[in-house]
Amino acid sequence: MNDADLQRELVSLPIKYLHKFAKGRIHRHFRLSKRRLIDSILALPSEQKMAIAHEVEQISTSPKKSPATSGNPKSSSPFYPKRSSPKKLSKSAPPSSAIGLQDLLEGIGVPEPKPFIPDDWQKEAVEAIAHSDVIVSAPTGSGKTFVATEAIQQAMARNQTVIYTSPLKALSNTKYMEFSQFFGKDQVGILTGDRRDNSQAPLLIMTTEILRNILYDATSGDLDLRLHTLGLVILDESQYLADPERGVVWEETLILCPTQTRLLLLSASIGNPQELAEWLTAIRPTTSCHLIRHTKRSVPLRALYLHPSGQLVPLLENRDIQQQKGYRFHPETKRLFNEYEFKPYR
Amino acid sequence: MPPAIHPIDLVDILRQHRLTPAIIFLTSRRGCDEAIDTFIHSTAGVSASRSEEIRTFLEKFSKEFPSIANHPLIPVVQDYGVAAHHAGHLPSWKIAIEELMRQGLLDAVFATTTLAAGVDFPARTVVVSQSSVRKSQDFADLTVSEIQQLAGRGGRRGKDFVGFVVVTPSPYIDLHVLGKGLTGQPEPIDSQFVVSFPMVLNLLKAHALDQIEGLLAKSFAQFQLNQRAAIHQDRLGELQEQLKPYGPRECADWVAQWKVFDLARRRKAHRRPVVNTDSPYLTACLPFLTAGRLIGLAKGPAIILRQYRSRGTGTPMLSVLHAKGTLGECQAQRVVEIYDQVHEFQPIRNLPWCPPRTLHQFKNILSQLPVRPPTLPILEASQEPDDPLLSNILTEEFACPTCPSHEACKKDVAVASRLQLKAQQATKTIQALRDGLWHQFQRKADVLHKFGYLTATLQLTDTGEWGRLIRINHSLLITELIRMEAFSGIAPELLAGVMASIAHDDDRPSSYMRLTPGLATMLAQVRQVADSLRAYEPTPLLRSDVAAIAERWIGQTELSWASLVRSTSMAEGDVYRLLARTLEFLSQIYGLKATHPGLADTAHQAMVNMRREVLAELP
Repeated sequence: MNDADLQRELVSLPIKYLHKFAKGRIHRHFRLSKRRLIDSILALPSEQKMAIAHEVEQISTSPKKSPATSGNPKSSSPFYPKRSSPKKLSKSAPPSSAIGLQDLLEGIGVPEPKPFIPDDWQKEAVEAIAHSDVIVSAPTGSGKTFVATEAIQQAMARNQTVIYTSPLKALSNTKYMEFSQFFGKDQVGILTGDRRDNSQAPLLIMTTEILRNILYDATSGDLDLRLHTLGLVILDESQYLADPERGVVWEETLILCPTQTRLLLLSASIGNPQELAEWLTAIRPTTSCHLIRHTKRSVPLRALYLHPSGQLVPLLENRDIQQQKGYRFHPETKRLFNEYEFKPYR
Repeated sequence: MPPAIHPIDLVDILRQHRLTPAIIFLTSRRGCDEAIDTFIHSTAGVSASRSEEIRTFLEKFSKEFPSIANHPLIPVVQDYGVAAHHAGHLPSWKIAIEELMRQGLLDAVFATTTLAAGVDFPARTVVVSQSSVRKSQDFADLTVSEIQQLAGRGGRRGKDFVGFVVVTPSPYIDLHVLGKGLTGQPEPIDSQFVVSFPMVLNLLKAHALDQIEGLLAKSFAQFQLNQRAAIHQDRLGELQEQLKPYGPRECADWVAQWKVFDLARRRKAHRRPVVNTDSPYLTACLPFLTAGRLIGLAKGPAIILRQYRSRGTGTPMLSVLHAKGTLGECQAQRVVEIYDQVHEFQPIRNLPWCPPRTLHQFKNILSQLPVRPPTLPILEASQEPDDPLLSNILTEEFACPTCPSHEACKKDVAVASRLQLKAQQATKTIQALRDGLWHQFQRKADVLHKFGYLTATLQLTDTGEWGRLIRINHSLLITELIRMEAFSGIAPELLAGVMASIAHDDDRPSSYMRLTPGLATMLAQVRQVADSLRAYEPTPLLRSDVAAIAERWIGQTELSWASLVRSTSMAEGDVYRLLARTLEFLSQIYGLKATHPGLADTAHQAMVNMRREVLAELP
């Protein structure tokens, strides 16, 4: 066993063993860090190093395990006891409680195209919007747009006007194109500060500021838009309510919205949707506000850690990211990250 | 400093593990652009068929949006299937990239974290390489909501079984921030309600004053404030419960009574001897015993060279020049006469306290003195009387010492007064929370009244009637400028330039554009007005370089977008956003066509000139 091999083996061992080797050989070994310990072991005379190498071999062969293969399927059994035994010393095999990279990468792929079946929460939201205001708080990409399109269709069927607002002009434009494809070009209009494209269409897209201005004008009498047929207002990205500069516009819009109009607030996951719902119920006495809070993602999300050297390992101990249950980093991630932070990486 | 992974390696690894398409979030726009640039040296391109598909898509797309036809990034996108997507790009380019991503033609998109909310396209994988973002001045950790917003782009519904978040370290990353962000509960949102000038005007236009109080009470801000007030209310209830045993005794408000009594007692007990031992007469004299003053001592006349206090006892002392020409020291109280005669000189800090020439002059003066120089009358101040209120109290007879509940009061006063104080604070806080918004409204209304937008009874004046139509930031500045007729007869490009400088609130490095003299004077005037309104409205940045960009674009209608962008160091996307925002401001001015037809026409002309090429592509 040459120096390089020995060093690699030593690095993979817990520091406890290194102290055992160093006992009687290195002065004040208990004061040394792992790296310094390894350095001083390697600096020992060759016969002592031979002896240590022998001991190392004994230790690493005793739990009969082949090193260097990561993600041993057996070791990742969920029924295995959680505490890792100190005998498992092979370098890249993660302790038993953690899962391997293979498990994590398992199941990548494209599902068969199948007819779209709405989730229960989506159905619930669509049903609720028929008779009350609705707040949908759901993670990104979980299908809030579906709720919006269903609600728009409902309202259109009743010959009502629908206003869809988004916080950014860029998002307005994207939605304009999306809805134009979905409902047909003549059904969708867009309003900006100076432009009115197809403003007589049943579905109007605008930024929230524009809607606020329309509501200002409506309440002061000089109205140029059909507010009496306004059946539904959809506020996308309503978490902007907390935006330091523009949040006030959302509040004004919600306060000034006519009472007969249904509100549909689509928001990313926020901490207090209940509070928002209580507020809306309080200020709009004729209708209650239905809260739909969906925290589960429709596509499970998994976390990986990519070391700058190109090594890919799981980030967390669990396979899928689980919400609100705390987190523990995967031991490999911890090891690699410590290395990254403290050792200049070449 | 440990480096981050190289972008080419990163994309390679993602491809190997079938983790593409991916969105890679980087800290800066520059980071994104540099990452894309490195791909020119890469060997691993996408297949020829995919390259062809991208090409046909972009060709078709550029028919609708000609602005992207010659985009410098097109070759990289076609050959390597990667792209950058950040606020420095034109919206049309961003839409093209988003569409390509949706069709699954790209492998990786490099985007900035700051615009995560504006990124509306999913991917199989999201790569996060930092745990903080730049916020105005410094770096702040990503919040849980922000991280979930980022991570949420991973995993396309209907196209993926699973989505991935790949964390790759870069300098200054904190894994725990990300760990918490991925698994934690998003932050609750808080209201950011503020009363603005346009809000006041528009509410007053449509509603009576008492209705407005109700409307403000309907805000989420008030809802949350009320919740906080309720907590204080509970605490107040508890305090009042605790205060019950300390109710009225011999006198109704015994705590206050005791406090006065205590104050008086202390005042008596602690009457200190006066530190200053100077007699009143001496105190009155000292201001006159300054350097250069002629005085009479027992020995004869003398001139003061300096005044000081003795080291030990602090007695006021004088260094003097005697009539016979000798220097000497004497105590200030030994002065017999103070004459009305001062000789100015330049004192110096050591013996003989004045320049030799002055000394010589003084000797001459002393030798030629008249027999009786005029003296200075010294008015001795009478002893300062005590604080009248306190002296009153001190003479008053207190009932407390003989009161039957004296002992009980003495025991309880500490607890009771503390509780009372807390209760008072709680009451004040509750009041502030309940009425805060209303007071804010009233303050704004007062300002508007002062400027003449509102009458004393809070009715809109004629000015207010049109002023309420300006509903943008810095509305007060704009309406004031219009009232001063600063814009009368102005050219459209000048108006656009001024509006651009008011609208632009980003302080990214400037763009070195030359100003025309007309615009420069105009901006100087605007700045003056803005400064005078500083107390009522935050001053806009009023950058002259952005004004110049807008002025050029509006003024030179034959100017192409490419040459405009080439003439500035601002990113294309920033120029676009600047002009789009200016357009918004101009359209507000155009809204004044009923009362200010001339100005509205100018604004309209500016808007028409603005809407060409790229700016005409999107509504």
